Amino acid sequence: MTVFATLGATGRATAGILGTMGRVIAFTGQALMWTFRPPLHWRELLVQLVQIGWLSLPVVGLTALFTGGALALQIYAGSARFSAEFAVPSITAIGMVRELGPVLGGLMVAARVASSIAAEIGTMKVSEQIDALRTLAVEPMQYLTVPRLLAATLAMPVLVAVGDAIGILGGYAVGVSRLGFDGPTYLRNTLDFLEFWDVGSGMVKGAVFGFLVALSGCYFGMHSGRGAQGVGEATKSAVVLASILILTANYLLTEAFFSA
Amino acid sequence: MIRARDIHKSFGAKKVLRGISFEVEKGESLVVIGGSGTGKSVLLKCLLGLERANAGTVEVAGLTDPKPQILAAQVGMLFQGGALFDSLPVWQNIAFRLMRGRARLSHSDAQALAIEKLARVGLGPETAHLFPAELSGGMQKRVGLARAIAGDPPVLFFDEPTAGLDPIMAAVINALIREVVSDLGATAVTITHDMRTVHDVADRVAMLHEGNFYWQGSAREAFETDDPVMRQFTQGLTEGPIPTLR
Ligand SMILES: Nc1ncnc2c1ncn2[C@@H]1O[C@H](COP(=O)(O)OP(=O)(O)OP(=O)(O)O)[C@@H](O)[C@H]1O
Ligand SMILES: [Mg+2]
Repeated sequence: MTVFATLGATGRATAGILGTMGRVIAFTGQALMWTFRPPLHWRELLVQLVQIGWLSLPVVGLTALFTGGALALQIYAGSARFSAEFAVPSITAIGMVRELGPVLGGLMVAARVASSIAAEIGTMKVSEQIDALRTLAVEPMQYLTVPRLLAATLAMPVLVAVGDAIGILGGYAVGVSRLGFDGPTYLRNTLDFLEFWDVGSGMVKGAVFGFLVALSGCYFGMHSGRGAQGVGEATKSAVVLASILILTANYLLTEAFFSA
Repeated sequence: MIRARDIHKSFGAKKVLRGISFEVEKGESLVVIGGSGTGKSVLLKCLLGLERANAGTVEVAGLTDPKPQILAAQVGMLFQGGALFDSLPVWQNIAFRLMRGRARLSHSDAQALAIEKLARVGLGPETAHLFPAELSGGMQKRVGLARAIAGDPPVLFFDEPTAGLDPIMAAVINALIREVVSDLGATAVTITHDMRTVHDVADRVAMLHEGNFYWQGSAREAFETDDPVMRQFTQGLTEGPIPTLR
């Protein structure tokens, strides 16, 4: 009895997840289609660039600063075991720009932006504002989803680049003040070893993560249930999905960029 | 102007509309009454194409089963909850549609138009720059009304236009609806629980009951009929064929 019950529950959960995946993919297709149809709502796009890009700078910057510092400490501890302390600046920089900058930045933006998008659009749905948009000749996908997707996709690479710089700075500060590195040498080591694609791949990851964050927020906002509980549920689901998608996409992109 | 044929609408197992059919002539004002939760708002949303009926066809302004976006220039809608856009000031809410598209108004024209429409719903020009969250419930409702009439559409849907208003303001709004129908020749469907609105606004009254128009007639007949369901409803009696536990 309990075995069947468990099997049944597992089956239902799997069907539920597959169903959601299918709907998210269909939603993505629709969103992309609307992206390439005029008109583009410029004012909304600018508002979202400020909301998603500019206002995320403090969170992303602080995250990068402390991550860069901690990374330098760890790499120093590791490399000291085989007397390779000279590698601290370059490995810190590579770890930051390739991996931790985009991933942690993406996760912070997921927490900040996916939730707020889902809550805002969900509230608009619950209070019939989405219906009102349609009766005023505006397509909600085009007015709400497209500007957010574009803004997040455009803003994230810039956020990642800024985060990279701040993260390297964090490593530098720790390296010079705590680990006894010479300032100019630390910087030269960082810059000499860093290749363009190290930074570029991180920014491409950022663009993909930004898209995924806005997509999760918009999807769950648009499909929010009724009432405050529905909006709360939508907000939570948006952050969870965005985080999972970011981590999954990060692995796949890393494979694609750097294997072989 | 409006024709509904055999509209069925269910949510899950719950049958809300059960084969409702009716017509509204051009320039006619239909007032729909009926108990809370009988499906009046759902009926309007089916007419607008916001909800898809499970069966039946709708014809509004010569278009069959239209998408709401296509109806936008033809139909003004006041939502039950106002449905104002929180992120925009009042004047941009009112002129929202007219500020977009090919023949868009300039900012100053849009503002002037919004202020003129605000005056018609009894709100001063200082309201124009407030945000919806800064308004009282009744003020939000009136801004929603101003938005519905902003483009002088030939068809108007009002979902409880006087709910939450004081009696004087309710009379102003009733007079406004009467005016857009008789002076501009608009066709209006008004949902209300307010018997003053029935009296002041209706060319014809329809009572939605158990998923269908149970009774139709003039406003005068609505108050004078012997039908027990109508009598109970218009007089607000607890005793009668309509159960109080719904
Ligand atoms: N999106 C929806 N999902 C599920 N049920 C719904 C939905 N919309 C409406 N209903 C149900 O349909 C019924 C009719 O709702 P509707 O809003 O049309 O009532 P109403 O006649 O306008 O009532 P009121 O006078 O209180 O506004 C209600 O029982 C409501 O629970
Ligand atoms: Mg209603």
